[in-house]
Amino acid sequence: MEKILIGLKTNRTFFIYSVLAFLLVVIAIFAPIIVSHDPLEAMMKDAFQEPSSQHLFGTDKLGRDCFSRVIYGARYSISGVLLLVAVVFSVGTALGVVSGYFGGKIDAIIMRISDLMISFPGTILAIAVAGIMGGSLINAVIALTAVSWTKYARLARSLVLKIKKRDFVDAAIVNGGTPIHILWQHITPNILPTVIITAATDIGSMMLELAGLSFLGFGSQPPTPEWGLMLNEGRQQLQTAPWLMVFPGLAIFITVVIFNLWGDSLRDVLDPRQDG
Amino acid sequence: MQKKIKFAAMATMIMMLVLSLTACGGGKDDSSKKGASKDTLKFGVTNFADNLEPTDNYFGWVLVRYGLGECLVKFDEKMNATPWLAESWKISDDKTTWTFKIKDKAKFSNGNDVSAEAVKNSIERVFAKSNRAKTFFEYENIKADGKILTIKTKTVCPGLPGMLADPLFLVIDSSVTDRDYAKQGPICTGPYMVKSFTKAKSVMVANPNYWDGAVPFKTVEIPSIDDPNTRAMALQSGEIDMAVNIAAGDMPLFSKKEKFNISEIASLRTVLARLNVAQGHILSDKRVRQALIACTDRDTYCKVLLKNTFIPGKAPIPPSLDYGFDQLQDSTPYNIENAKKLLAEAGWKDTDGDGILDKDGKPLTLDFVYYSGRSELPLFAEATQADAKKVGINIKLKNVDYNVLDAMGQHGDYDLLISNIITANTGDPEIYMNWYWKTNVDGNNPQNGAGYSNTDYDELSRQLSQEFDVKKRRQIIIKMEQILMNDAAGLFFGYPKTNMVSSVAITGAEILPADYYWLTKDIKPAK
Repeated sequence: MEKILIGLKTNRTFFIYSVLAFLLVVIAIFAPIIVSHDPLEAMMKDAFQEPSSQHLFGTDKLGRDCFSRVIYGARYSISGVLLLVAVVFSVGTALGVVSGYFGGKIDAIIMRISDLMISFPGTILAIAVAGIMGGSLINAVIALTAVSWTKYARLARSLVLKIKKRDFVDAAIVNGGTPIHILWQHITPNILPTVIITAATDIGSMMLELAGLSFLGFGSQPPTPEWGLMLNEGRQQLQTAPWLMVFPGLAIFITVVIFNLWGDSLRDVLDPRQDG
Repeated sequence: MQKKIKFAAMATMIMMLVLSLTACGGGKDDSSKKGASKDTLKFGVTNFADNLEPTDNYFGWVLVRYGLGECLVKFDEKMNATPWLAESWKISDDKTTWTFKIKDKAKFSNGNDVSAEAVKNSIERVFAKSNRAKTFFEYENIKADGKILTIKTKTVCPGLPGMLADPLFLVIDSSVTDRDYAKQGPICTGPYMVKSFTKAKSVMVANPNYWDGAVPFKTVEIPSIDDPNTRAMALQSGEIDMAVNIAAGDMPLFSKKEKFNISEIASLRTVLARLNVAQGHILSDKRVRQALIACTDRDTYCKVLLKNTFIPGKAPIPPSLDYGFDQLQDSTPYNIENAKKLLAEAGWKDTDGDGILDKDGKPLTLDFVYYSGRSELPLFAEATQADAKKVGINIKLKNVDYNVLDAMGQHGDYDLLISNIITANTGDPEIYMNWYWKTNVDGNNPQNGAGYSNTDYDELSRQLSQEFDVKKRRQIIIKMEQILMNDAAGLFFGYPKTNMVSSVAITGAEILPADYYWLTKDIKPAK
């Protein structure tokens, strides 16, 4: 934590990207105050209008204001992806740490389960989940969690295996530390930086996966203003009303780029290594 | 050294970018030549048929649409019954015996003659295998003598020739038994024969024994491109030469007369949502149904959202048919205040302030089932959802596959179920009016899964089944329409225009009101 605060002060790039990421979150939180119209209100007589001073990003097929929908979409898309990454990160890391520290049968079971889940293509699982439980953002998060936790489990496990052999762990055991105490106080803080960096850089790609599922119809359902869903709705008017796809697409692009760059600069702050 | 490597890498990347950009653009000359050579036609469609067994589901439509099969009778552009495989027909004085004369030169694609015996076997096969056949007519007996076919109907059936024009009754050579009808299709009489068939793509070849003139193309490829925009783009790029049912939003792309021909006609179709009026469903209360209809701004849906390719709906039968459209009284025009009043009268109030009305602790939530194969259906569904919210009705949308939709309709698994239905598939709307609204007694009317039942309506339906006089039929049908409208028995969104768009490399691609005829012998390469 101190490293991050120091990084904010000294590392210019990290500071800028953090501000931008923070801005995105603020826009998502304060969406109701920023927008000019209700994103769900359909004034159908105004459908398919080009961007104008009244409707900054134009109107969609049911006459809803696109600017409001894109801003509100930040709420669904960003909260969805942050939830997804948080869950995947916690579950994966916990399982990986347990697996690496205890070894033996527990390790074998957890790793075989993770092998099972890795072999599932994420999109197909999401389709299955949507078919059984219906399509929604939460169900898409569940489906993606099921296939994505394995990366963190393996990473955490390999890091734990390295640290396990260090002297201070032996010292803690000799001093009478219980396994839980050792895991929490000694092992986890040492692997956390690497895993956090992985999670941060994953935000971008997870956002694309979530938007992709909504685009295919297995995530958010109409009339939710989620970016992936808006891309799908705009696709049918690509040649006659391109603003329907351009603005949600730009929103996804900008968000993913900002989070990716932020994750990269986070790595510089938390774990600087000198390359050539 | 580092700088040189960096520079080389940058230069390579820039070159690769430039090279990749040259691939864009510059396709303008090639694309128009890609499609119709003189021998091959490429035709983009939507196909709902899994196989070519004509008695299965509605799959007979695909056989007629793809130019494989033909019926005894054909509809012209005014929906008159005209000769096709049958040269002429007449009815006996007691009105129950019809005599058809089959054309002398009619032949199957395997060279066999189309005799009255073959037609008799074909019709009997349909009745044996399809439970839909008896909803058209029932026969006492069918006799065959050379080229003369005699059908004696059980009850008086005024529209029999029109019924035999339905693709369910296409004429096949049922004496052929060593063929897998589902995969290869039956042997029929049309200009083209199946070379290969899957739901996604079919390849047809010319029928060497075609009885009715020259077959213009040696090969026809028919890919099924269900997504309307993908279909429009395929036609734009020249990947296909003609396509049916281009979506409203894409029509402006084909307005250049030097490149494309548009054939557009007011269809015989209605887009309607069946309403489940059975006991235990929220919509069993007529006031709620009326409120639902009154809160939907069908005018705006059709004129603005669908860019005027639909006529706004009020009655079951479209204005393209002459059944009193202008005189019929719409008791539930678009009126939000009226809708709110009706819901309040029916006892629905918003007691918990969430914007959705409730009664006895249950919210006013309706399940709206739709499919995406036709581009207007999701649009109507979402527009209804948005409008219904304004009066406090919560509509949940369920997007299902078309194959599941029919079963759900028959079982009543819905509150609203939308589909795009042809109203005069036999040239006369009698069958359509019976399908969803004549009382279903012990399964004799399986399409009426919503449980609608009205004794006055059933009586009119009975009279209609026996009435030969065209003017009297019209009056009966208008009365039936008024009953349905007064009872709020269905939500009639609008009436589509149907279209067929082709590149100028072909001629003869015309769409008719009856949409059974897509690939015909009249579609030829342009000179």
